[in-house]
Amino acid sequence: MDKRLLAGLSMAGLLILGGCVALVWRPGIEPVPPPTAASFAPAEVARGQVLAAAGNCAVCHTSDPGHPYAGGVGFASSFGTIYSTNITPDAATGIGRWSQAAFTRAMHEGVARDGSHLFPAFPYDHFTKVSNGDLEALYAFLMTQTPVVATDRKNDLPFPLNIRALQAGWKLLYFRPGRYVPDSARSPSWNRGAYLGEGLAHCAACHSPRNALGAEDPRQAYGGAVVDGWIAPALTDANPSSQIWSEQELFAYLRSGVTDAHGSAVGPMSSVVHEGLSALPDGDIHAIAAYYADLSQGTARHVGNSAGIDRSIKTSDVGVGQVNDVDARLYVAACAACHYSSGPDPTAQRPDLALNSALRLDQPTNLIQVVLHGVGAAEGDPLVMMPGFAGALSDADITRLIAYLRRTRTGLPPWADVEPQVAMIRKARTQAP
Amino acid sequence: MKRFGPERSERSAGPSRRGFLIAASGVGIMLGFIPARLAVGAERPLSEPQALFEPTIWYAIDRQGRVAVNIIRAEMGQHVGTALARIIAEELEVDWDQVTINHVDSDPKWGLMVTGGSWSVWQNFPAMSRAGAAGRLALVAEGAKLLDVDPATCIARSGAVHAGTRAITYGEIVTRGDLRRTFSVEQLQAMPIKPAADRRLIGQDVAALDIPSKTDGTAVYGIDATVPGLVHARPKLPPTRNDSKVVSIDDNAARAVPGYIRSVALEDPSGTVPGWVMVFADSVTAAERATDLVKVVWTVGPSAKVSEKDIQDHAARLIADPKGGALVVDDPGLDAAFQAAGSTLERTYTTSSAMHFQMEPVNALAFEKDGLFEIHTGNQWQSLILPTLAKALGRPEATIILRTYLLGGGFGRRLNGDYAVPAALAAQTIGQPVKMVLTRADDMRFDSFRSPSVQTLRMAFDGGGLVTAMDHHAAAGWPTEVMVPGFMPKASNGVAYDPFAISGADHWYNVGAQRVRALSNDLANRSFRPGWLRSVGPGWTNWAVESFMDEAALAVGVDPLVFRLRMLDGTGRNAGSPPNAVGGAKRQAAVLAAVAQRAGWETALPAGSGLGIATTFGQERDMPTWVACVARVRVNRTTGDVVVERLTLVADAGTVVHPDGALAQMEGAALWGLSLALHEGSEFSNGQIRDTNLNSYTPLRMGDVPDLDIAFIPSEEVPTGLGEPATTVVGPAIGNAIFAATGARVRHLPIRPAAILAALASASPR
Amino acid sequence: MVSFQLNGRPVNVSAQPDTPLLWVIRDEIGLTGTKFGCGIGLCGACTVHVQGRAVRSCIVSVGSVSGAAVITIEGLDPDGKHPLQTAWIDRQVPQCGYCQSGQIMQAATLLQDFPDPTPDDITAVMNGNLCRCMAYIRIRAAILLAADMLRRGER
Repeated sequence: MDKRLLAGLSMAGLLILGGCVALVWRPGIEPVPPPTAASFAPAEVARGQVLAAAGNCAVCHTSDPGHPYAGGVGFASSFGTIYSTNITPDAATGIGRWSQAAFTRAMHEGVARDGSHLFPAFPYDHFTKVSNGDLEALYAFLMTQTPVVATDRKNDLPFPLNIRALQAGWKLLYFRPGRYVPDSARSPSWNRGAYLGEGLAHCAACHSPRNALGAEDPRQAYGGAVVDGWIAPALTDANPSSQIWSEQELFAYLRSGVTDAHGSAVGPMSSVVHEGLSALPDGDIHAIAAYYADLSQGTARHVGNSAGIDRSIKTSDVGVGQVNDVDARLYVAACAACHYSSGPDPTAQRPDLALNSALRLDQPTNLIQVVLHGVGAAEGDPLVMMPGFAGALSDADITRLIAYLRRTRTGLPPWADVEPQVAMIRKARTQAP
Repeated sequence: MKRFGPERSERSAGPSRRGFLIAASGVGIMLGFIPARLAVGAERPLSEPQALFEPTIWYAIDRQGRVAVNIIRAEMGQHVGTALARIIAEELEVDWDQVTINHVDSDPKWGLMVTGGSWSVWQNFPAMSRAGAAGRLALVAEGAKLLDVDPATCIARSGAVHAGTRAITYGEIVTRGDLRRTFSVEQLQAMPIKPAADRRLIGQDVAALDIPSKTDGTAVYGIDATVPGLVHARPKLPPTRNDSKVVSIDDNAARAVPGYIRSVALEDPSGTVPGWVMVFADSVTAAERATDLVKVVWTVGPSAKVSEKDIQDHAARLIADPKGGALVVDDPGLDAAFQAAGSTLERTYTTSSAMHFQMEPVNALAFEKDGLFEIHTGNQWQSLILPTLAKALGRPEATIILRTYLLGGGFGRRLNGDYAVPAALAAQTIGQPVKMVLTRADDMRFDSFRSPSVQTLRMAFDGGGLVTAMDHHAAAGWPTEVMVPGFMPKASNGVAYDPFAISGADHWYNVGAQRVRALSNDLANRSFRPGWLRSVGPGWTNWAVESFMDEAALAVGVDPLVFRLRMLDGTGRNAGSPPNAVGGAKRQAAVLAAVAQRAGWETALPAGSGLGIATTFGQERDMPTWVACVARVRVNRTTGDVVVERLTLVADAGTVVHPDGALAQMEGAALWGLSLALHEGSEFSNGQIRDTNLNSYTPLRMGDVPDLDIAFIPSEEVPTGLGEPATTVVGPAIGNAIFAATGARVRHLPIRPAAILAALASASPR
Repeated sequence: MVSFQLNGRPVNVSAQPDTPLLWVIRDEIGLTGTKFGCGIGLCGACTVHVQGRAVRSCIVSVGSVSGAAVITIEGLDPDGKHPLQTAWIDRQVPQCGYCQSGQIMQAATLLQDFPDPTPDDITAVMNGNLCRCMAYIRIRAAILLAADMLRRGER
């Protein structure tokens, strides 16, 4: 992050420290003997398992697949790198000696058992909306997992950002604790979707822009943001997809990881679908889809896309036949075998690039990610994989390929300065922890 | 024109110091030409299947009557084994399903082993026919004895000897008979060969024997060779092809690669791979990754700063200097004709460097075993690289053997077996079997690519527009000079020259006084290793000749077809002679006339479209394959893009042994011509070739294929070669068609849209 | 150690997960019908099926097919008589043959997606498979023949 921002951030923190000392201090909650597995009802544990999936806990708290929930995943931000903690019930290094009350307080208020403030990388600003009952089930599930001895890794944050007490100031500015309050004017399904999406599933954590201090900006809620080198696109009517995200499209996407008219869930979103939401029943997925389709007015705007789809499919054979354009020839050699489709309907197995969201975003980030690193067999549609071209094509070649696709598959203005972005994204992956 | 070595004498009916042997053994009979010194009393057993060497034989028949034909030519897609075995089977009178082929390893007994120049069928046809006929005679004689009938009453058909209603199969004759017979050279020379009308196999479509294994993954190429305990190697290529020397190697970073073994600078007494560092590892991937991390410091050769423009400028200077070069054709009266001319025309044509890009990157597996150094690799010219290998390894040639594999594309790349040398040196250095597979980028940088060329052509016309003289100066890198200078013949002025680099300029047009001057571009020769690329010289000479003929026709206001036909009158030195060139230029005129008719030469086309015509006599005047082509193109005047709508080709290759294979060769060669004309071409830049993979080198793909219409002139003349000739007519036909469509004349190959736009800008509107 | 299915049988390989699938198939498992051409996914000689679809194995890491089903030319048909293979022989397609494993594997996916392919369908899907001998006319003809055989239920 740039130094100006860092300085401002430090200043804000110090001011708050000076003015609000009284708010900073939180008491510790006494450790308890680790509860036995038998002390939890199996049904409660099972319900907690689904909720843990909905909250995507494992994705952030697992660095070694052999040791789920043992933490250690690094989250690089402009502030520094924060590492997720061990939330297995190990007494010494995990949360084995956390009481239900301590767990609930952490989720609702962002305060650890010992009274220290948690960093908002842990999205307690969303978890605060989760009901006590659901947190009891979640606690039951976590406390019955295999304990793993894994000491939390020290965060890599510069002074003074590493002072946890400063987080109290952040909370004062941005954190509004409180359970989800249903909107009685809305259907139970809509409310269920809102409860899940705004709460445990914390969708806005990725899809909303954040301000200079890392807080979600409520005025731009769901306006789209950059996360982990990917763009989490806008979930509002600002979403630039060729096809409207209807409730049906959202359901298909969140349920299977792919839709014919939008493409695959790749990057961080793939694990959201395949490792998180997959545990939820269809009803919950429908509820989430309903909530976000409403948010973007998608259902209202969805008045039949077939003309757009026809137009898109017509571009599928651009470059087929005798062409001299060297960029078209590169596309034909590298991409067309899998991406060509002749219609009349798009098919997920032959992803139509003119329909693909990644080509229509304001930045080529996601397209660069996919071209460089591909789509693994486990990502998106489990029957479709795409090889990555990181080891095959140079930054310059990927740049012209991407420019060609933008030029021929969308009516949108060309992206600027693509090549440095390719280089940066390539480098970020090579250096990833 | 001098060709490679003694084998040619078989073709030209010179007496061969060979006898023909038929000898029975425990399992079958073998029949073949063998060197005379082995013929006397030589009864050599058929090899066991696992034996390393086979006896000196062309084919063997076993007790089931199955015929296994030994093929000494490399299989690289031309189905050469099918064509050659068919010639034997025709005379031997066996059915096609009894025939198998066996591609043999290198051995002095085979004589010259080279596959190229579109020679294989043409060269081997007489020998193979006689070998088959001799076998049939022997089998009939022995079969008659077993049947107890007069041989004169017997005929051979379908692998059996028939006498009236009785018959005995070849397998039975082999099992029961006593087959010992030798044929003298005289007897062999007199061996009657079937008249064309009696042929049952030649000219019929049969399935190529190599094809099924190429559809199920069982075909074995050089890259598939393996041996227990091998280590993998990838070279770290020096900055220049020649003259680089290793100063130091730093492999600290490479040591972190799991599987990395070590890096060694190769000592190469043969000078084939100067400055190579070989990186060893336990897998291809480890070798690739380690090589990227090995740092080598070299002293570089003088070519480190040489670029395509330097080479072409040098060529232009050579042409501008009237001294120097080989006068391949040097008629008296040329200068006088130009002085007396009513008008003259001079044009210069250029071509870019062009890459082989054979699909299988060059590779070799090498190891020493039981005193023999084995090199497992696909190769087109074993006889060329064996002496080099001997020099590199410091051991006698007789202790080195090249094991034969299918070639994943030859196109002339594997005539130059230089890639076998580093693998062999690496194996010798490390004392273990080494398999070296070049990455594509390494393969391209190490390619013996087609040299760029510059040619200046002049023509003199009398006052009536008739051609009185033609002068052709061609400068390019010479593969033969660099790789096998001893094979260069001397021109009339005593200068040795590369025949392959100038062939085509010595065309069959009667142009009055003619001069052809071939100039070796020494800067090219020093800067890289010029290679033979499908068609070699005609790839550029015919671009110049056939583009120039169009320009000349325009200059005198004659239709380009008519202009050509007038000069292909088949008189004087262009009358042709037996056995190979019966009919001479008249046969070239015939294919031209035929292609024009087929392509609708007189048809009016919409604006922006045009027809262009070109012709070739193939590879060499000694072995003419007459081909003509009409290209129909559509040109976008705004973008300069060319769409080739149709290519029509007519060929006269004499007798066509394997019609479907011949058609396949014509299809492939024509499309190669199209690819070289519009889609390929690279550029030498700072001592290296610019394009190293398909991201920027873009050969023809399926979508680029136009309509193709190919026809053969029926003929019973000597069969000639078909692997290359169609390659060289397509470029000039397209160039001429672009002119017909737009008035834009392009003189550089490949033809890029920018060149068309530039030519359009300078052309008068049509 | 990576595990996946190859031609219907489970395999465990010791190659590093970032090793290209191509070299694992060729050198560690020893099936050499899949060829190395360009190494950057632009020639198609290394085409195999992953989860039933054509993929260029030179740029696919073996780790990324963990648990997946991989089919090579050797496993396309137990007897080597897939309609495409039969058609390839009938139309005498291969010249040097080096690219043909990849061509056939890509064509199999083509016919799965386009049972009655138009000329454009064939071109678009097969364009990525380079044939340096340029046997394209025959490749096209053989694909049409195989499509016909498949439609008529022949094999």
